[in-house]
Amino acid sequence: MKKILLFILCIILLLPAGCAGNSPKRYQAEFLTLFDTVTRIVGYSDSKEEFTELSQSIYDELEIYHQLYDIYNDYDGVNNIKTINDNAGKSPTIVDSRIIDLLLFAKTQYIKTNGKVNVAFGAVLKIWHDYREQGIDDPENAALPQMTELEAAAEHCNIDDVVIDEDASTVYLSDPMMRLDVGAVAKGYATEQVAKHFEAKGVTSLLISVGGNVRAIGSKADGGNGNTNPWVIGIQNPDKINENTELFSVEISELSVVTSGSYERYYTVDGKQYHHIIDPETLMPAEYCTAVSVICRDSGLADAFSTATFNMPVDKAKAFINSIDGVEAMWVLPDRSIEYSANFENYKQN
Amino acid sequence: MKLAKKTDIIIIALIILFGIAFWFLYNNIFSTKGAVAEIYCKSELVRTVDLTEGKEYSFSIPEEPDVVFTVYADGSIAFTESDCPDKVCINTGRLYRTGQIAACLPNQIYIKIVNPDESEAPDLIIG
Repeated sequence: MKKILLFILCIILLLPAGCAGNSPKRYQAEFLTLFDTVTRIVGYSDSKEEFTELSQSIYDELEIYHQLYDIYNDYDGVNNIKTINDNAGKSPTIVDSRIIDLLLFAKTQYIKTNGKVNVAFGAVLKIWHDYREQGIDDPENAALPQMTELEAAAEHCNIDDVVIDEDASTVYLSDPMMRLDVGAVAKGYATEQVAKHFEAKGVTSLLISVGGNVRAIGSKADGGNGNTNPWVIGIQNPDKINENTELFSVEISELSVVTSGSYERYYTVDGKQYHHIIDPETLMPAEYCTAVSVICRDSGLADAFSTATFNMPVDKAKAFINSIDGVEAMWVLPDRSIEYSANFENYKQN
Repeated sequence: MKLAKKTDIIIIALIILFGIAFWFLYNNIFSTKGAVAEIYCKSELVRTVDLTEGKEYSFSIPEEPDVVFTVYADGSIAFTESDCPDKVCINTGRLYRTGQIAACLPNQIYIKIVNPDESEAPDLIIG
């Protein structure tokens, strides 16, 4: 009898220790040096070393894309988007297949979104970028670009002048005044490729966020006993003085969620805010909504669609999203009301 | 047949009591209470700020004196001054909850909210 009691006691004593040993702990890593934004990695791991090693290898992989898709900086021995821009009208640039794939993807999205997301729009975006930086640096003299200046630049944004030769692995901008700006698609596309790479290597549960392009690998492995829960992603309230910092949370597994908003990157002219998402049609910051969030499997698509639908009137944007299977979206309107696509609310956390 | 001797039961009870007592001690003493803001500069944790003091004050860090942080009485923290060209750090506004982050990329500084008591917090907050 005593032996049985002793046995039970041992079990009781070992149980908590055993549980603690098996249940992975939550870890989080941040990097500020990629894609001019914040990269965050969240996961559950048995040890800090294991998680640090994984997040470092994700960083290394993302860094390759960061260098390839950079439009501002040169890197030794790397032909990147800037190299293509520098050679506009001069000669084709031999580039890595990951640049070819991004630009082919971008061309497809240009057609799909009726030109609402255009990587050949760099000449116009550059003007806005320069006026914005000057306006922030010297608010007294903040000014808007002249429409004539914008219209002149818009003459050099025809995506058909981006000549891709897949066999030779070259890209050539046939318009010498054209500049590629992949800001609206590169982060999401890179996130998707890196997530796929690590899924293929056997990673089953991880959250990668590159500047608000969130990609969930699997679901959250926090049960310890093999249970999994969806990842919970809070959507920030664009109205920053509101005491509710988040609008709500969405629950996702094996999905991406991307938010585009007008409330962080902007400058002020005569008391009015002018943000960084420029409508290719009007050449002005789009004002249909203050934020849009897109949920779908592919982070690259989610990124492209969030910019494209930001640049559409909300009823058209909604019809566009509803016409595509497996894509949902949510819009915050300037009057703070919220519009949803057909099934977005299924992802809302109760 | 008697299932257990009285002394056995006492021993078991004592062990369980000891376990419970230890659990409480562990949770209350060895873990931090309430929200904390961690400030990182060039990937190094340079300052940890208690957000539960209920008073408003501003400070900077020796690594970047031109960047000013403000802690508010309601338990939030924000970038309030910075010498960076885009001011995205300031425009991000106040942070309250676990999962929120504000970053000044040109200065390589970010603030992250950590609150071990907030179990219902989202995994990430984006916007």
